[in-house]
Amino acid sequence: MWNIDAKIEFQASSGDPVKIKMYIPPLNKDYVSLNESFISNNYGVSINRDGSNRRATWSARRASGNQTLYYRLVLTKRFSDDKAPTKGPIFRDSIAVEGPEKIAADALLAPIRQHSADVETFITETIKRVNSNDDNAKTLLAGDSSTSKKASIIELLLSIAHVPMERVHTVRLSNDAGSQSPELWLRSYNGTEWLYFNPDNGQIGLPNDRLIWWTGDGELFKAEGAKKTKVSFNMNNSEMNAIRLAKMTDDNTNAGFLEYSLYSLPLATQQAFQIILLIPIGVLVILVLRNLIGVQTLGTFTPVLISLAFRETQLGFGIVLFTIITTLGLSLRSYLEHLKLQMLPRLSVVLTFVVVLIAAISLFSHKLGLERGLSVALFPMVILTMTIERMSITWEERGGSHAMKVAVGTLFAASLAYLLMSVPELAYFIFTFPAVLMILVAFMLAMGRYRGYRLTELFRFKAFLKD
Amino acid sequence: MIGLIKTWKELHAKGIMGINRRNADYILKYNKRNLYPIVDDKIITKLRAIEAGIHVPEMYGIIETEKQIEKFDEIIGDRNDFVIKPAQGAGGDGIMVIADRFEGNFKTVSGKIVSHDDIAYLLSSILTGLYSLGGHRDRALIEYRVSPDQIFKSISYEGVPDIRIIVLKGYPVMAMLRLPTRQSGGKANLHQGAIGVGVDLATGITLKGTWLNKKISKHPDTTNAVDGVQLPDWDGFMKLAAGCYELCGLGYIGVDMVLDQDKGPLILELNARPGLNIQIANDCGLFHRCHAVEARLEQLEKDDILETPEERVKFAQSLFGHVPKSTD
Repeated sequence: MWNIDAKIEFQASSGDPVKIKMYIPPLNKDYVSLNESFISNNYGVSINRDGSNRRATWSARRASGNQTLYYRLVLTKRFSDDKAPTKGPIFRDSIAVEGPEKIAADALLAPIRQHSADVETFITETIKRVNSNDDNAKTLLAGDSSTSKKASIIELLLSIAHVPMERVHTVRLSNDAGSQSPELWLRSYNGTEWLYFNPDNGQIGLPNDRLIWWTGDGELFKAEGAKKTKVSFNMNNSEMNAIRLAKMTDDNTNAGFLEYSLYSLPLATQQAFQIILLIPIGVLVILVLRNLIGVQTLGTFTPVLISLAFRETQLGFGIVLFTIITTLGLSLRSYLEHLKLQMLPRLSVVLTFVVVLIAAISLFSHKLGLERGLSVALFPMVILTMTIERMSITWEERGGSHAMKVAVGTLFAASLAYLLMSVPELAYFIFTFPAVLMILVAFMLAMGRYRGYRLTELFRFKAFLKD
Repeated sequence: MIGLIKTWKELHAKGIMGINRRNADYILKYNKRNLYPIVDDKIITKLRAIEAGIHVPEMYGIIETEKQIEKFDEIIGDRNDFVIKPAQGAGGDGIMVIADRFEGNFKTVSGKIVSHDDIAYLLSSILTGLYSLGGHRDRALIEYRVSPDQIFKSISYEGVPDIRIIVLKGYPVMAMLRLPTRQSGGKANLHQGAIGVGVDLATGITLKGTWLNKKISKHPDTTNAVDGVQLPDWDGFMKLAAGCYELCGLGYIGVDMVLDQDKGPLILELNARPGLNIQIANDCGLFHRCHAVEARLEQLEKDDILETPEERVKFAQSLFGHVPKSTD
């Protein structure tokens, strides 16, 4: 089940009526809409069909300042084998061209005709030619290699050969955090079905994770009385959650309070909260490790912050990175010791060094083809710097073996916290029932009055039991 | 697992105090947060002690700002030996002990030559808070260098041995002599490798010791036996420690004292979170002793009596002293 949020932001010119028109998915093919909502204050909303597309119109008599509108769609894949009958145009008129462009187009079309057998291969070949380094293709593109320019050149070439083509704007259904913009595909009707093509590489067939948002040459939205408009898409995939289930099974109860679940937040915020709500779990791990087991860690909550950083890098790679950066940082720190710098300048130097180091690691791992290295960019640098500083002070004060013990303890605590925080069942449970955190609080309160021995103390005081 | 539970039960029966119990039942209960600065800042401790007429090493001067580092020469005058300390240092870090001058430079007790620049850097590090708890800005303290009494020569390696007494509500409950070793680099902190030797509260005679959580009976560097040594002026130490309750108001503290060749027992510093290894040094748990003191306090409160430090020392010595010598 997919939740898709389209967020429209704009600045209304004060006093003027505002009208925003935006395409929304037609929903007649592979997906079933479960719920569709328009979140907008003081705006009238209407939906109208426009060919095979649907279009929503928000309008307001008067608006000023920054405005945000949301369109939320909950949909799920339709599981059915029979395809709805489709129909489309199979002939079209040529677009008129003149001069050098005509010559270039004709020159391009001749080999395409030679190398193709039917509509499908003809279009693939055309896309390949337009994307190649061919001089004629370059002339037509006129230095603009954007996808939309390519699409219009492809359309021109196809129209000369009387092959119809239509633009399709798709949105990728993926769980990646962050927003995306619609991706352009082309399609053509071969008499029995629609064939889809990627204008950038000639790939045939629409991948399963694409949702057709609208077709045709129109822009995603039109705005009147507004400027600085921006649309961003956010989405996540979730299983049917208990709250929705409760609503569906028991329609009669007036459970208005169910609206106050975290699921009613905008999706981008939801994604943030899915992480934030897990932090207490990590803190609990540190609490147990420190007060019950007696593991020594650097600082109290540093391990939790490191485990959050592991979310970006994955565990194994994160530990390796953490070790490398901390080791190199420590050696720099020991060199700086000779310069006898004051604390703040010294910390600044170490921080800058850490930034440079992370940039270098990203660059090298990219060159080596390890895309994982790029995720390091979000590895919190300030945490690393403070870890290095604390490590080096511990090293000086308590000696290397103690510093290593503390470092290993920190990494162990961070890994354990990460592993627990990345259990999807736990994440789901806490996000759906945030009050569960109160149970954690109860445990933490109990721990606050725990007077028993720590596990490591049983070994520390073993000397008492020798005789 | 069963072994661990057995260990747990035996430790509990012996009255060994763990960190969690120490924190929950003693430090949080008896030590008011607002009084911490008195013990965490050695300068405040010292000024308070002087006011109360308690003996401390003489203070030569305080450096509070970077500008005052220039005044360092003025503060030490023509003295040849002195100690530089961070006022809020923890665990003996950032302390430099100068024993002599050497051709315009200084010489530490361990024989390392340090220049004026090195000292200025140390002072600057102290001021920026490198050694202070929590990294706050700090002050540097320059004071009299204690020369340890000859009695410790045979059982100590460099540095100054000190005596720690745990004091609960003014009642000394346990004492330990801390001897620096080669490994601890002349410092008297157990976690840095110094030896802790238990001391009988009544007589001031040393017992067996602890080193790195193990029980020992000989000093690892000098190989002399650490037990059976009579500490001089023991009652003086006990009174000094008992009087620290009035000085700072904290109910559970570790009092660190030294025995100076010329000036006798002096208070070095107070610690609001004293370590637990003193239990291994004395081969005895703190828990039962603390309970005895708490029972006594309850009794006294009922009778509405307030004991003087001398009376408290007497009570502690009669109850916790005269540990029978272990037979081995």
